[in-house]
Amino acid sequence: MEHSRRQSREMTADLVLAGLVAIVAVVLLYGAASLPPPRFDPLGSAALPRALAVLMLIFSAIIAGRAVLHQKSSDDEDAAMPDEDVTSAASPLRGLLILVALVVYVGALDFAHVPFVPATTAMMTVSGLVLHRADLRTGLLFGAIGLGLALALGYVFTHFLYVDFG
Amino acid sequence: MGDAFILLFTWPNLAFLFAGTALGIVVGAIPGLTASMLIALTLPLTFHMDPVSAVTLLIGEYVGGISGSLITAILLRMPGTPASIVTTFDGYPMACDNRAERALALGILASVVGGIISWMFLAGMSPALARFALQFGPWEYFTLVLMALVMLAALAHSSMVKGLLAAVLGMAFALPGIDSSTGQARLTFDQDLLLSGFGLLPVLIGAFAISQILRDAAAPVSKKKPALPKSRLPIYWSDAKVHGLNMLRSSVIGTWIGLLPGIGANIAALMAYTTAKQVSREPERFGTGYEPGVVAGECANNASIGGALIPLITMGIPGSVTEAILIGALTIHNLQPGPLLFQNAPEIAYGIIAAYLVANVIMLALMWGAVKYIARVAQIPRAGLLGPILIFCVVGSYAINGSFVDVWVMIAFGVIGLGLEAARVPLGPFVIGFVLSPIAEEQLRASLMMSDGNFWEILQRPYALLFLALAVLTMFWPVFLARIRNRQGVLKNERA
Repeated sequence: MEHSRRQSREMTADLVLAGLVAIVAVVLLYGAASLPPPRFDPLGSAALPRALAVLMLIFSAIIAGRAVLHQKSSDDEDAAMPDEDVTSAASPLRGLLILVALVVYVGALDFAHVPFVPATTAMMTVSGLVLHRADLRTGLLFGAIGLGLALALGYVFTHFLYVDFG
Repeated sequence: MGDAFILLFTWPNLAFLFAGTALGIVVGAIPGLTASMLIALTLPLTFHMDPVSAVTLLIGEYVGGISGSLITAILLRMPGTPASIVTTFDGYPMACDNRAERALALGILASVVGGIISWMFLAGMSPALARFALQFGPWEYFTLVLMALVMLAALAHSSMVKGLLAAVLGMAFALPGIDSSTGQARLTFDQDLLLSGFGLLPVLIGAFAISQILRDAAAPVSKKKPALPKSRLPIYWSDAKVHGLNMLRSSVIGTWIGLLPGIGANIAALMAYTTAKQVSREPERFGTGYEPGVVAGECANNASIGGALIPLITMGIPGSVTEAILIGALTIHNLQPGPLLFQNAPEIAYGIIAAYLVANVIMLALMWGAVKYIARVAQIPRAGLLGPILIFCVVGSYAINGSFVDVWVMIAFGVIGLGLEAARVPLGPFVIGFVLSPIAEEQLRASLMMSDGNFWEILQRPYALLFLALAVLTMFWPVFLARIRNRQGVLKNERA
């Protein structure tokens, strides 16, 4: 059962990949269409984008075709397939939360002009709570680490590398 | 070469090499963190450094990163990097059998021997190969880059189509910006932000560090604790006799596999391991805690670094992702890797060679003396590592141009990298496509300009034809191989 679920996930991933690659290829072709014809060299600016777009369309078609054909053949095999133990205990939510925290952190620095030290302290606290344990002690510990890290990084980058974080 | 060693032994360069090697060992010992991720993260810091110091730091990180991974491979059966997967086969059973110290001692010794033997090839072959490569014109360079890309894409992953797609996607993301041949904006869609294209560093940090962090954050937490070595590391003079031939053979295999683009340290280690098993009188003992297994894998994975550095400094062709990042590091300092590097910046070309040897010696000293303490790094909770690394990524990307645009680009490529890996598309060819695309296009356009648009001029260039033929052969090799196997299977069935 798990095997067929995994195959189904892989097939969906392949189809999504093929679709997204095809979109990138169309964007490339659209962008290349507005480029002027070659003037200074025989190839011109539009040749490579066009060539890459065609290759992408071919590869995405192959991947999509394989995914569909593979699914058909695995459907036939599925009845005889033994169940495998479920071993994965991964949590995609943790990854997603870290991504959201990262986007909020950079957005706060960039658009809201939040100073570097408090923003970094908050970011470290959140990462500790998400990745380690959601309790007060963890929050305080990671907040303290974040504060120390932010102060150290701020000092090094401002005084030695002449980079100011807003 | 002598001058390079003298330059290397000045205090800032030696200090950077020492720091890089130490950092590399520690990061290499942490499962999930890789040498390429460390190098990508430290690249922004090298902006403000002297090119020789920058190169020594990065070479140290590379050597340390590959070597350090043997610690957790042996103690936890969790290789810090894929290069040490083979080490787990015999290293971990040895650790379970209360022979962790012996496995570590042999692993460290084998790593150094592999490094030194491949250094001999690097130092002996590179200047001559660079002189030879001076004969190359744009056609040769274009086909060489094409060959490297095809080999990387085809050999780096089980699905060739996905490998090729990754390379093509990487090349596509390198297109936006000002076209260097015509000076016109290309694929910028009237967005001023895209005029300078996507920066190499935000792309590298995003694709390797951010995607890795997001993946690690979502991955299950391992409760394993390493069995720390208790006594000194035992090594004997008789080991030279017992393991000498295996070390030599595995190092040569590692070096030559490292020379080929796209194959990498993990395959080098696997090939050396398989060969050692095939020629052994006791092949059945491999995989049960047999010393030659640890020796073969560790010799080959370290030797592959020296092998991979040869095409990098002589022709500017990266053998793996880490070399692609090193090319980026050289370009940041306005240095073009390739045959002219030996003429234009001999201190860098010979500096890389010298730094590689000294990094191996430093690695030996550090790992021999501090392996017990380095192993403790694996006990640090994941949150304690990932959070600060994330902050470093943001700070490093921002520091490149003092602009948050680079940070957003980094996040975007982190998500792209994560998505590609989720769809089982390898990131290596993607990044190498991104790095090599401008070179390939520039060389092709120069070739066509020189030949008045006549592509068939390539037929008059024997080396270019050879590289093209190799690229085509690499693409169709799996098909030939499958047919041969099918035919052999049919013949066997008929005989049966």
